[in-house]
Amino acid sequence: MSARRAGPQWRPGADEAIELAGVARRAGLRVSVVRRYLALGLFEPCAGTSRAPRFDPSSAARVAKADRLRRDLGLNSAGAVLACELLDRIRALETRRSV
Amino acid sequence: MAVEYKDYYDVLGVPRDAGQDEIRRAYRKLAREYHPDLNADPDAEDRFKELGEAYEVLSDPDKRSRYDRLGAQWRAQEEAPGNGDFGDFFAAEGFGRDTSAEFRDGVFSDFFEQLFGDGAAPRASGPLRGRDREAVLELSLEDALSGARRRLSLGDGHSVSVNIPAGVREGQQIRVAGQGAPGRDGGPAGDLYLLVRFKPHPRFRRQGDDLQVDLRVAPWEATLGATVPVSTLTGTAQVRVPAGSSSGRRLRLRGRGLPSRDGEHGDLYATVQIAVPKDPSQGERELFEQLAAVSEFNPREASR
Repeated sequence: MSARRAGPQWRPGADEAIELAGVARRAGLRVSVVRRYLALGLFEPCAGTSRAPRFDPSSAARVAKADRLRRDLGLNSAGAVLACELLDRIRALETRRSV
Repeated sequence: MAVEYKDYYDVLGVPRDAGQDEIRRAYRKLAREYHPDLNADPDAEDRFKELGEAYEVLSDPDKRSRYDRLGAQWRAQEEAPGNGDFGDFFAAEGFGRDTSAEFRDGVFSDFFEQLFGDGAAPRASGPLRGRDREAVLELSLEDALSGARRRLSLGDGHSVSVNIPAGVREGQQIRVAGQGAPGRDGGPAGDLYLLVRFKPHPRFRRQGDDLQVDLRVAPWEATLGATVPVSTLTGTAQVRVPAGSSSGRRLRLRGRGLPSRDGEHGDLYATVQIAVPKDPSQGERELFEQLAAVSEFNPREASR
């Protein structure tokens, strides 16, 4: 009785890390805008070198979310970053409570 | 089809003579409450769109005065008996009949479109990716093991076909690219994330990657040993019940469980349940009576 071979494994983070320009393209934003959010610490490089950092593709959704909040709620970039971080914290608390 | 009048003052909860500051304050407050990135309620998205439309009109002096003037007439006409076609009214006024052009992905209502036409597109703020959406995907254990193709309806009228790869695990997320909320001003759409949950199975119980199933055997099979069929997720397998197996004995079928993280499979445990004939025949009854007379076995003593 042998184990069936497993199908393709699907890992969320298994996508390849992308450059800042790729983050910008996926977010629909200009590179300069994305760079500002990077400087504010909204997301961090996950690979590459300090001269050519690479980022998790999920960074694009995160940057877009911050910019939606900035535009829709009349925030500045730092305020939008703070809102994102607070949302993360709420989510983490809710997850912990439901486990 | 008649287009319904929208009371933008009512949407924002401000009086008709509200100043610009008051309108902005009301909008900001409600936007913080109903922003889809902040409010997970599915109705929040529609409410937020409605707020955006109301704010778009009332915060722009030109649009606001046109709305005040034409909207009042619209409403008067809507309330007049037997009159349902406002298209004629607007054709006569010379406004916004050409509504066939693509209008910002239909973000605003038909009422807005008819009132302002497509020359009044909201102030563009540049392309931006749409929100990611999340949904729970309930799968049967069979579908999780062998993969499946599912058609999901996304609530907003369209549906998407998703290939679920063989061997997904509970709690895993499947990303469906481009099926989140649409982007703005030509920005890319967000992604859809499906969170995998397993439906309870009528026969199999789950313990991590392992499965458990009851294996009903006759008293003589349990006593003498036998090879019997047992259901697995993919069909049937033969399992050897060793002689002298009491109820509760777990027989392991290696690799017949669910896919595990390392690409292997968990095991299937068949739990022996001794079943007896409910209506024994005369012959069966006599044999059991003989057995009762002969046997020195006492199941309530410590196991032998």
